[in-house]
Amino acid sequence: MKNYLKQFAMVITVASMALGGASTVFGEEVLRFATWNSSENLAILQKISKRFEAANPGVKVQVESYGDGYDKKLIAAFGAGNPPDVMYMWNYPKYYTSLVPLDEFMARDAEDMDLEDIPAGLINTTRIEGKAYGIPAGFTTHVVFYNKDMFATSGIAEPEAGWTWSDLREKAAKFRDKSSKTYGFAVEMKPDPYDYEQFFWSNGTRFIAEDGSSVDGYMNSPEAVEVLTMFAEMARTEEATVLGVGDSTSGSALFKGGKLAMFQSAMWSKGGIDKAGINYGVAMLPAFGNKPVHSSIGASAMSIAKATKNPELAWKFVKFYASPEAVKLRENDLPVRTSIAEEMNLTTDPVYKPFFEMLALSDRESNAFLRHRNWSKIQANLERAIEATMFEKGNAKKHLDNAVARSRRHLN
Amino acid sequence: MSTLVVQDDVAEERHRFIEKLTPYLFISPWILGFLFFTLGPLIFSFVMGFYDWPVVGERTFVGLQNYEVMLTEDPLFWDSLWVTVKFALFFVPFNVVLGLLLAVLLNQKVIGTGVFRTIFYLPSVISGVALVTIWAWIYSHEYGILNFLLGLAGIEGPNWLGDPNWSLLAIVIASLWGLGGTMLILLTGLQSIPKELYEAARMSGVPGWARLVYITIPMLSPMLLFTLITSIISAFQQLTIALLLTKGGPLESTYFFAMYVYDNAFMYFEMGFAAANSWVMFLIILILSMLVLKSSSAWVYYEGEMNNSEAADD
Amino acid sequence: MTRALTYGALLFLSAMFIIPFYWTFITAVKSIGELYQFPPVFWPDEVMWDNFVTAWFKQPFDVYLKNSVIVVVLSTMGQLFSCSLVAFGFARFKFRGRDAIFVLLLSTMMIPWDVKMIPLYMEFNMLGWINTLKPLIVPAYFADAFFVFLLRQYIMTVPTEIDEAARMDGANSWQIYWRIHLPLMMPALVLVGTLHFMNAWNDYLGPLIYLNDQSKYTLTLGLSMFKGLNETDITSIAAITVVLCIPPLILFFFAQRYIMDGSIGSSVKG
Repeated sequence: MKNYLKQFAMVITVASMALGGASTVFGEEVLRFATWNSSENLAILQKISKRFEAANPGVKVQVESYGDGYDKKLIAAFGAGNPPDVMYMWNYPKYYTSLVPLDEFMARDAEDMDLEDIPAGLINTTRIEGKAYGIPAGFTTHVVFYNKDMFATSGIAEPEAGWTWSDLREKAAKFRDKSSKTYGFAVEMKPDPYDYEQFFWSNGTRFIAEDGSSVDGYMNSPEAVEVLTMFAEMARTEEATVLGVGDSTSGSALFKGGKLAMFQSAMWSKGGIDKAGINYGVAMLPAFGNKPVHSSIGASAMSIAKATKNPELAWKFVKFYASPEAVKLRENDLPVRTSIAEEMNLTTDPVYKPFFEMLALSDRESNAFLRHRNWSKIQANLERAIEATMFEKGNAKKHLDNAVARSRRHLN
Repeated sequence: MSTLVVQDDVAEERHRFIEKLTPYLFISPWILGFLFFTLGPLIFSFVMGFYDWPVVGERTFVGLQNYEVMLTEDPLFWDSLWVTVKFALFFVPFNVVLGLLLAVLLNQKVIGTGVFRTIFYLPSVISGVALVTIWAWIYSHEYGILNFLLGLAGIEGPNWLGDPNWSLLAIVIASLWGLGGTMLILLTGLQSIPKELYEAARMSGVPGWARLVYITIPMLSPMLLFTLITSIISAFQQLTIALLLTKGGPLESTYFFAMYVYDNAFMYFEMGFAAANSWVMFLIILILSMLVLKSSSAWVYYEGEMNNSEAADD
Repeated sequence: MTRALTYGALLFLSAMFIIPFYWTFITAVKSIGELYQFPPVFWPDEVMWDNFVTAWFKQPFDVYLKNSVIVVVLSTMGQLFSCSLVAFGFARFKFRGRDAIFVLLLSTMMIPWDVKMIPLYMEFNMLGWINTLKPLIVPAYFADAFFVFLLRQYIMTVPTEIDEAARMDGANSWQIYWRIHLPLMMPALVLVGTLHFMNAWNDYLGPLIYLNDQSKYTLTLGLSMFKGLNETDITSIAAITVVLCIPPLILFFFAQRYIMDGSIGSSVKG
């Protein structure tokens, strides 16, 4: 027995020695920065952080990448009171009480950081109850990618500015070919509601009342029914394939494989499409008749945890990320600074231009999830309604009414 | 003389004390681990269940409200529980029976069985991230390999993951792909069955199936009990494949109870509610396992039973 | 006749089990153009072996490898030591509270991790273990319930006469454990080692939650980093998956051989 205990103790000792403690050099200030980026995007962030370190001797930026597991990791870290100092953030309603409101910092340094250069619509995506909790470092709007070669081969006219959904449907129908399994467009069975709201906005309605008091008459408004019915109709007539559950990448995969002529997505798909060597063009989102079109905006914004020991340093870091120098390095999303976009000729480049045109049109609305603290639960009911409508290829009204009814208990 | 007796008594006493202590020393690693790493979190989560506990921000005591909402207001609780039960009804028997068949089949010392065993273990080696990518590709309705192969045979395959009538079955099949672990466990169990039993049976002309029923299964029953209980536990905790493959859809046909807990915790940030969910789940699995364990005295045969009149488990 | 049937069945089943692996491999060596073709490409025109190298150097996988090896080796040792002791305790002694404690042990397998996660993180944070490999290793020295249960079931198939005979010869409990049962348990220990190796090697959640710094990441965590929130690097995932499969497969091949042959020596039973 004694022998065993001795061995056991030895193993423990060796193990704990081998594992060592924290590797921080004394006197060095470590700033923890968490991101959901991976691969190439992560490399860009690391490059920017290195520059920050060079400009601020004695500071070490520890870039922590959690990839797909970002939300889980952040919950554990915040829940246990050990959050990173600076982090990418999207879920402001859940976290804002633990984040530093940035308005005072912004007011103080407005001139220094040339805040005018960053579109207000982007900062608004981080506002809760009037206060801004994040500074955007990159963004994307939504567009339609289309395969130029497929359009040329079929002799179909490419999308033009100001096109409508009926234009899109007319074109899409012509691409459908059963034997080669080709489709003109793709609609999702279980879309991310955050992005889906742009169709509601573009058709003149929204998920929830502006003051967040009600979904009845919004989520199930005639305009809402029209949106869902249209997508279901497109699936029924095979103008579009239904991207089913179970394969989140298949939309871009189909487009890359030349099975899809038009594909509605955002900046994050561009890199992969470039690599696949597709000859593509980019068009703005189509409009519903003559109603003004409005895109959803996805911003990678950076926030500071209240728990940070050094808010000034954290702010300095966030500011650096929004500086022209850093923004220029982010080639995988769009520059948040108008001056940089212009300097890089992105606003006139035919591929990038539609993204900026969408941005210019998209400052009227803000997402439903900023409007009600229980939105994530209400949203689950909406997702169910969309899914059921797509599955049955109809009955939008019934399912949306049902979603409204099921959401009632979450609204107060 | 008298001192000697006293010394003897002391020695005896000490001996008996050590005797009594020995078993506890043997199990002490687990006891300590339980005290260090399990008990605290367990109590913590139990307390959490009586709170409205967002990940950040104010925590308020709400008494039994979480349990009330779960049992009476939230339809998803019952829906997800039902999906899980259906899954378990498919998964558990198939996992045990197929695992056993494979183990018996591969328990022959013939050239090549080692390679076969390794092949059947292959899917267990592939990590979750990749496994799901593979299954998405296999099951894809129009572009998947499965329906491509069915098409060659002239069958129009269903929309595996997109049709609520097929999705649960698709998840069951994908889960059974990880059968290699069960196979290996039973294979190891088979090694402890004395070969003499089989030889004796063969000599007296007992046919193969009877050897399986009358020798293999009873002798393997302790391992089968293990497989059965752990299969039940993993069936009720099934999450990863469905979470990554179908996200609970379509139309909640694969919305498992574990996913309900997961969503409440990580999507809705309702840690208190999720803790309450977990305790209900815990009780359900515990009761089921205890039932199986109780029944085991009727069908599990322990060669090394300490005392036949006192079954080890009850 | 039966043998032919057996082989036929085995071959058919193997094909089903090998398909996913084959596809992973093929995906790893395809060019981007072929990746999305339909009907699917079953053998690429040009095998892109470079993909393995490219994927490996996209992240510091050599660092991850070192971390994974430390975690897997140290934690496997821990499981083997602690689980065999505890299992022997439960299988071979009668003591007050045994059955209640055993049920408690079983029940620890049934606690969903969701709710344990935050309190456990707090505990490790207090101990200063966050962003070290300790949370992935130290608990392994305190016996995992799954393996204890497995080993206990195995020990209980061994006739008690062996213990009694040894006790007659004056062996104490420790000696019976060390000299008799540990050797007898070898096949089951190899099994436990293999299964735990797999768990530790493929563990994603533990490393994700407890490690912050890329220099501490493990292989599986690195692999998952190819899956971002919006886009997935399929080629790299497939390539690294293939690489990550190799060590466990080699281990498994030898383990199963040992398990099958180990029994020849242990004819003590029966």
